[in-house]
Amino acid sequence: MSSKTRPQQRARVIGLIVIGILFTAFFGMRVMHAFRKFNGHRPPPAGKIETDVELIRDWMTVPFIARMYHVHEEIIFESLEISPQENRDKSLEDLNQAYFPQADGLVLEKVKAAILANQPPRAPVPPDTAIPPLMPVPPVIQ
Amino acid sequence: MSDFLLTQVINFGTPLVGVILFLGALGLPIGASAVLIAAGAFCQQGILNWPIAAATGLIGVLIGDMLSFGMGYYAKDWVQKRFGKSQIWRNARASFQQRAGLAVFLTRWLVTAVAIPTNLIAGGSGYKFSRFMAYDIAGEIMWIGLYGGLGYLFGSQWELVSDFISNFGGLILGLVIFGFGIKQAWNWQKQNKAKSYKKAEV
Repeated sequence: MSSKTRPQQRARVIGLIVIGILFTAFFGMRVMHAFRKFNGHRPPPAGKIETDVELIRDWMTVPFIARMYHVHEEIIFESLEISPQENRDKSLEDLNQAYFPQADGLVLEKVKAAILANQPPRAPVPPDTAIPPLMPVPPVIQ
Repeated sequence: MSDFLLTQVINFGTPLVGVILFLGALGLPIGASAVLIAAGAFCQQGILNWPIAAATGLIGVLIGDMLSFGMGYYAKDWVQKRFGKSQIWRNARASFQQRAGLAVFLTRWLVTAVAIPTNLIAGGSGYKFSRFMAYDIAGEIMWIGLYGGLGYLFGSQWELVSDFISNFGGLILGLVIFGFGIKQAWNWQKQNKAKSYKKAEV
């Protein structure tokens, strides 16, 4: 930029470049951080029943969690010792505020424990290689 | 805000997805992209029906875009009175008209932070509505397909995708602003050189 450029124009261009660099640096760092978390996670196979209870969040409702983890919602409500009526649409955070206002995060912990205790048994994983038979197979006589 | 909306999407289903995308298209900061990715995950989990959710979301966001284009269109006279004599506004308008289609398409799904200003400028600069809608529909289908599709693919791990995409959008915006600044500096340098040559010739 030459010295003939008007000061206002010069300030605008410098401002744009500086803001651009700041944005790029800030979000670039966050993208790197998000990518590190993201890397290593692969899409779960279709039809897989969720088993990781650390994915349960405060905004989820009991019927939603029951569906996600294939556990009956009655079991979850029983573990919380509250009635399903008028509580099916409430998030875990709202249930916590309504029934356990003194204990922050208690509902979330109780739900996680109930899921871990009542998850359906995992399907046996087939081995990668064929297992050789224990007994030798006799030859077929024709 | 986003957590509250996610709970309500679970409770009220597809119609709310349409309403949220509509409000997002009007410029309300309600995290429409995050809700879209979550909606994709909810489709995979069987909470929402994906063809209906995609169609409702598309209708909602298109109506929102039409309204924000309309706001720009009806504010045209006021903008013309206020900035009509400004050379910068005239240059920006001419420059927008040249690349409006690409700008509308890319701001739907890649640089979503500037989608609303783009709609307002398109409406205010007299850009043809039918052309705007053609690029808008293409861009929004891309947005819903890409973001919703990633949510569907990653299911319960959708938050990882959402975190990555929201930051990636910011990074692209930063690069666009930086590139625009560099281009402006380049143009003025060229103009100044041309002026210097003319003076030297005289």
